[in-house]
Amino acid sequence: MSTVTLPQAPIELYTLGNGLRVVLSEDHSVPVVSVAVYYDVGSRNEREGRTGFAHLFEHMMFQGSENVPKAGHFQYVFNNGGTMNGTTSSERTNYFETLPSSQLPLALWLESDRMRSLKVTQENLDNQREAVKEEKRLSYDNRPYSNAFLRLNELVYQNPRNAHSTIGSMEDLDAATVEDVQRFFRTYYAPNNAVLTVCGDFDSEEARALVEKYFASIPSQPSPPAVDVSEPEEVAARSEIYRDPFAQLPAIMLGWKVPARRTPDFYALSLGSDLLLDGDSSRLYQRLVKDEESVVGIQGGMGERRGPSTLYVFAIPKPGHTTEAIRATIQEEVKRLGTEGPTPEEMEKLRNTLLNDAVRSRQSTLFRAQRLAEYTLYDGDPHPFNTELERYLAVTPERIREAVSRYLLTDNHSVMEVVPAHAADAAEEAPAPAEPEPSGEPAQPGAPPPQVPAPPPTEPAPPTEPAQAPAETAAALQQEQASPTNE
Amino acid sequence: MTDTEEFRRQPPAPLPARPLNLPEPAETTLANGLRVVVVEQRRLPLVSFRLAFRSGDSSDPQDLPGLTDLMTDMLVEGTESRTSRQIAEEVARYGATLTAGASSDYLTVAASSLAAYADEVLELLADVTLRPVFPENELALAKANAQQNLIAQRAQPSFLAGEAVARVLFGQHPYAVVASTPESIEALAREQLVRHHRRLLVPNNAVLLVVGDVERGHVVEQVERLFGGWARGEVSEPQFPAPPERTERVAYLVDRPGSAQTNILVANTAIKRTDPDYFPVLVMHTILGGNASARLFMNLREEKGYTYGAYTQLDARHLAGSFRATTEVRGEVTGASLKEIFYELDRVRDEDVSGKELSDAKTYLTGIFPIRLETQEGLVDQLVQMRVHDLAPDYLQTYRENIQRVSKEDVRRAAQRNITPDRAAVVVVGDGAQIRGQVAPYVARVEEFVGARGGAAGA
Repeated sequence: MSTVTLPQAPIELYTLGNGLRVVLSEDHSVPVVSVAVYYDVGSRNEREGRTGFAHLFEHMMFQGSENVPKAGHFQYVFNNGGTMNGTTSSERTNYFETLPSSQLPLALWLESDRMRSLKVTQENLDNQREAVKEEKRLSYDNRPYSNAFLRLNELVYQNPRNAHSTIGSMEDLDAATVEDVQRFFRTYYAPNNAVLTVCGDFDSEEARALVEKYFASIPSQPSPPAVDVSEPEEVAARSEIYRDPFAQLPAIMLGWKVPARRTPDFYALSLGSDLLLDGDSSRLYQRLVKDEESVVGIQGGMGERRGPSTLYVFAIPKPGHTTEAIRATIQEEVKRLGTEGPTPEEMEKLRNTLLNDAVRSRQSTLFRAQRLAEYTLYDGDPHPFNTELERYLAVTPERIREAVSRYLLTDNHSVMEVVPAHAADAAEEAPAPAEPEPSGEPAQPGAPPPQVPAPPPTEPAPPTEPAQAPAETAAALQQEQASPTNE
Repeated sequence: MTDTEEFRRQPPAPLPARPLNLPEPAETTLANGLRVVVVEQRRLPLVSFRLAFRSGDSSDPQDLPGLTDLMTDMLVEGTESRTSRQIAEEVARYGATLTAGASSDYLTVAASSLAAYADEVLELLADVTLRPVFPENELALAKANAQQNLIAQRAQPSFLAGEAVARVLFGQHPYAVVASTPESIEALAREQLVRHHRRLLVPNNAVLLVVGDVERGHVVEQVERLFGGWARGEVSEPQFPAPPERTERVAYLVDRPGSAQTNILVANTAIKRTDPDYFPVLVMHTILGGNASARLFMNLREEKGYTYGAYTQLDARHLAGSFRATTEVRGEVTGASLKEIFYELDRVRDEDVSGKELSDAKTYLTGIFPIRLETQEGLVDQLVQMRVHDLAPDYLQTYRENIQRVSKEDVRRAAQRNITPDRAAVVVVGDGAQIRGQVAPYVARVEEFVGARGGAAGA
């Protein structure tokens, strides 16, 4: 067994007078620096009639501030040799850039200017509304399976805060006004509602002085209203059929509501999901793809949230195999794991994979900046970046068995059957496509589904790139909208 | 808003630049011709391996498209001493990765792990490379799945656009083929995979890159032990028909009824990777469409709001290349978007770029260069490109100078040679009824393009 331990990142956490939490992490391997700013606002904060607003707002953050013109943010970063982006999820909105280390002042200047003085005009709002609508068409409406997955999420969650998508609806995007944007800015884009991280090749003393210079005078604001993301206890299974206008092959999607991130049950379930779904050695891959030859591919994972999280599975059946039979096999494998628990070989695999992923992901300054910001925003403490791996490694086989049994062998799950609309039309002369319709399938006791994916570390792009149709949906499943660019 | 301090009015001056220490690869060649490149990097306890062969999908026999892809995919599906499942489980037990994949010019077998398992993982990499057996049952499964994946891909408009543009630009050249067909996959037999493997995967056609927390002498020793007995083979530079000469601007419409957007690709053939004009073309591409501050993006998205993104792609491969402008727009503005694209393509040919655009593009390219070298994966990518395309041994050392040397005149020449709007192939994938009439005014004629499986399927 390996004796590798996780190299610890240096971490300095402090808070400015205005409430901005700052994390610095020095590392001199490569002369680059990554800066990330995380705001505690995501689609969970959106009110009814304004779905998609947090993400639309994120686009507005690139439309200029007092001293930076429209699109100036892109230009300053790129034209000084850097890369940047912003993304929105249910949990938060983030902005980040990686630049030659000499350009740290530029990154802080840019981020501080929009935090203190965002400019919003009707013209820019209209322009970005169009860009976001095109993003929605590109990532969801013109693509197979993506909207079906968004619909699955609406079945999994009962609380509208959790259920609606980050991209939102066209109607709600249309309804957004300049006043909405200004109010949202005042409410959520305050230093006391944000975390700033700086990682890479810099000098901490110098960085502290620069952070003070650019951010200290930005006034704090009253705390934003709290969000209730709690979900009712659940016993009913839900299912629907989605007629997909673009899918060529049918698909089955399953979703479970599971406990929040950083809870013992979440850790155990996350590892259980790895055993079922992660990679070619996983139980479901070996059973469904290799033994039964009943699916073209299967993937899944944890939708990690601060509140109730999800575990989802997505599979494309082969001709001649029913989604019912595939569900039954998945259920059988979940039950086996929930009854017998993992083998010693599987525990060794989990351990080494966790270690390799954790070490490998740390190569990137941007990854470190993002993770440190996330922990600080969600947990008030960046140190789990160094220590959370231990929590995963400490999970016993018995805990995995228990968690799988308790959360996955229940009716508390949702099923989405995707039917290619063209096939369905041919078969039954059906009405217009695209709208999901309830299948009326009754909840089955002790029914099917599965479970989960990836743990704490994320992993770098794979070395070789076999492009597969199912993989395309993985991004959609994470529901993270990237703002400026998808290069 | 608070009163604005004076220092906020202008972007701040940079701090002093910090040095970039470029890695120093050490290269050895075994007696059988296998080149071994090792970069010792002690920063983190990790190792990355990549074995690259200078043959890819272009090596498919004319009558057997898809052979190289399938053969490569099958490497990890069984060896003389391990079943597919044993390979998967062993890799997982080390927490490692082991993958094989082919592109048009080369194929790679890649592995990565904690440095503690470097020897074990290298042994696995050697086993799947040297002793795959292509079991009949695994082959039948891989073929069935590949056929289904081909069907699934056709749901993606970006796939349909890529398929069409390759076909019309490259004609009889192997780069014309983006994906195989279910029928041609059906025709592939085990014996063909075995022969193709024997022919392509020879040591004198390969380079093994190793980056990580390893000791070079030890790695070379292991490589010698595992790969030393591998027999040389014949390596031939294949000869292919040149891409067809284009004489007019034609649109190729892939009808996808109900499409929520139009995917637009305006393309022409361009330099290959080893062309001496590579750096001027790269700078030109950066100014025109290389990122979210380039001309196309600023015009089509930030000014017009037609799209989420608009970019150019420089696809300079080993034997030929192409240059493409690409965007996805709502159907109503398909014609208006073509107008803006051609405006930008003409402008970069007809006028010098500004001094600021030139220096911004250079700063961008030289600035992001070290970001790519942050990770082992990024460094290995660079080292592979250098070897498969025979780039200069000091390519990494001179990269930034080569960028700095590019002049306005170079950029203009690069645009004129590599962008030919009057002979462009204009691929549009979208709702035919909605867009056909919008496209027509911008081209000599509109041809309906039917892909390998009857064009697009859609709503």
